[in-house]
Amino acid sequence: MAVTTPHKAAGGRRPPAAPPRRRTPLIVRTRPWLLLAPALIVLAGLLLWPLVRVFLFSLQDYGLREIVSGEPNWIGFGNYVEIFTDSQLWTVVLPNTVGFAIVAVLGTVIFGTLVALLLASLGRVWRLIVGSAIMVAWAMPAVTGTYVWIWIFDADHGLVNSMLQGIGLMDQPFNWFTNPVTFYAIVVINIIHHGFPFVAVTVLAGLLGVSQEMLEAAEMDGAGPVRRFFQIIFPSLRQVFAVVFILSTIWDFKVFAQIYLMPGGSGSNREVLNLGVWSYVESFGQNRYGFGSAIAVLLTLLLLIVTAIYVRYLLKEDEL
Amino acid sequence: MRRQTLGRKITKAVLVTLLLIFTLFPAYWMVSSAFDARASSGGQSLLPREFSFVNFEFVFTEGNFLRFLGNSAVVAFFTVLISAVLALFASVAVARFRFRFRTGMLMMILAVQMVPLEALVIPLFVQVRDLQLLGTLTSLVIVYLAFSLPFGIWMLRGFVAAVPVELEEAAYLDGASWGRMFRSVLLPLVAPGLVATSIFSFITAWNEFIFAMTLLGGEDQNYTVAIGLKQFFGLHSNDWGAVMAASTVITIPVMIFFVLVQGKLSNGLVAGAVKG
Repeated sequence: MAVTTPHKAAGGRRPPAAPPRRRTPLIVRTRPWLLLAPALIVLAGLLLWPLVRVFLFSLQDYGLREIVSGEPNWIGFGNYVEIFTDSQLWTVVLPNTVGFAIVAVLGTVIFGTLVALLLASLGRVWRLIVGSAIMVAWAMPAVTGTYVWIWIFDADHGLVNSMLQGIGLMDQPFNWFTNPVTFYAIVVINIIHHGFPFVAVTVLAGLLGVSQEMLEAAEMDGAGPVRRFFQIIFPSLRQVFAVVFILSTIWDFKVFAQIYLMPGGSGSNREVLNLGVWSYVESFGQNRYGFGSAIAVLLTLLLLIVTAIYVRYLLKEDEL
Repeated sequence: MRRQTLGRKITKAVLVTLLLIFTLFPAYWMVSSAFDARASSGGQSLLPREFSFVNFEFVFTEGNFLRFLGNSAVVAFFTVLISAVLALFASVAVARFRFRFRTGMLMMILAVQMVPLEALVIPLFVQVRDLQLLGTLTSLVIVYLAFSLPFGIWMLRGFVAAVPVELEEAAYLDGASWGRMFRSVLLPLVAPGLVATSIFSFITAWNEFIFAMTLLGGEDQNYTVAIGLKQFFGLHSNDWGAVMAASTVITIPVMIFFVLVQGKLSNGLVAGAVKG
């Protein structure tokens, strides 16, 4: 029977320290790398190299000609200068991106938490029923979900307009998509509807772990529901809330299809551009791939800041 | 259980009703419009005015949706298959072996998950163009691997780590090689996790929009379902009945898979994120 010390040494989380002094066979030492290699190659080719390249493009006046010839056309930070001096960035794109993200994240997390609290107070049967309904909202693909909301708010035949006209609140159909405020209000509804189930399910899982004794003791001491939430539930679910907040922030900053598919969202209405859509329409609409890349780099940097917080938070909790 | 006052119960019932309406209404409205032959001429009633399958017929005959469903299925199938194999190998490496840069690798996989793929459309488009793969389903499979692989590794890692090391050691004691142990011990025990991650990559590939739109361009015989929908939008009027019928058809497989995977999905997201 083969002695299996090398396998044991290689295969355990258990013996954390003291790798065997004895030389292990080459195949055992390289095995983790052989296993990792295919995935690493794919990640390097599809994520890391494009990440480098989008930055390289952003330093060039990269158009159709450069794409075809493959020749670089360096212009330094010209694209960035153009972005930062473009009044569109400060008056339209950034307010749309950041403002929307703040409203959508807060809306999603608050609403999701309230739903989780409601779910936690329900009996078994009703929790199952409401939970299943939430799954339906979660499972709706972003594209079809967006089309349904567009259809509901459609200017000519949409349900909202016909109902408002039916009860006499409006004389003429209103186009909800031309005004940036109502446009983004619809996007917010769409995003909250699609995003709150994740928050609700996650927070509910955390809520079930909160000590009942502590809650009851607090209630005996006269703490109201709001006080109990902020004094007991929120502190013990701090980690869960951090995750939920950060993931939602990342998702909502880079929201694309939900805006692009809306009437006017694909660049024809400049008032509703956000960073992602702006980058896309400049590159694929105007063939200004360098300029679009510079916008994409800014979006990535914005998300990187959020990611840095996320990773730091994780590292603080345990050592992986 | 605390005793509930009547007022409390009523408040709760009202809240539950409102929540159910908000949650289910879009799905209901989608299905209801899909079955309404007169959906596109304006909807004041909440029920279909003329119940029929005419929208579905149109979607499958004129709309060519059978073809799009097939394309999406092919793309999703290969994405799932390749990413499952690669993610399984990689997760075994990071969960079961101690080696230099292991923590670094884990950090990289976690960080890479945060890269907004939307920001990589331009370089990936150029890359796919250089490979002369624009307009092909292959290009979509390649790109979708980037979507599903980091999450798959991260999620499977937890499943692999949950298999007791003692089982592996018992296999070695019985004389099994590493490969044999992998096949006969690890693989069957990780299978549920593999199914869960596979369904996740299926849903991602099935729903993806921006890359399908960019990489397929005008090759409409290769369209996937997510971009096949846009043909029902006319210059002046939209065929909402057809859009909703096609949306219903697209949503059904996702709903089914979602129900199968939802518990694991939320656990995976949180476990991967919270526990590391």
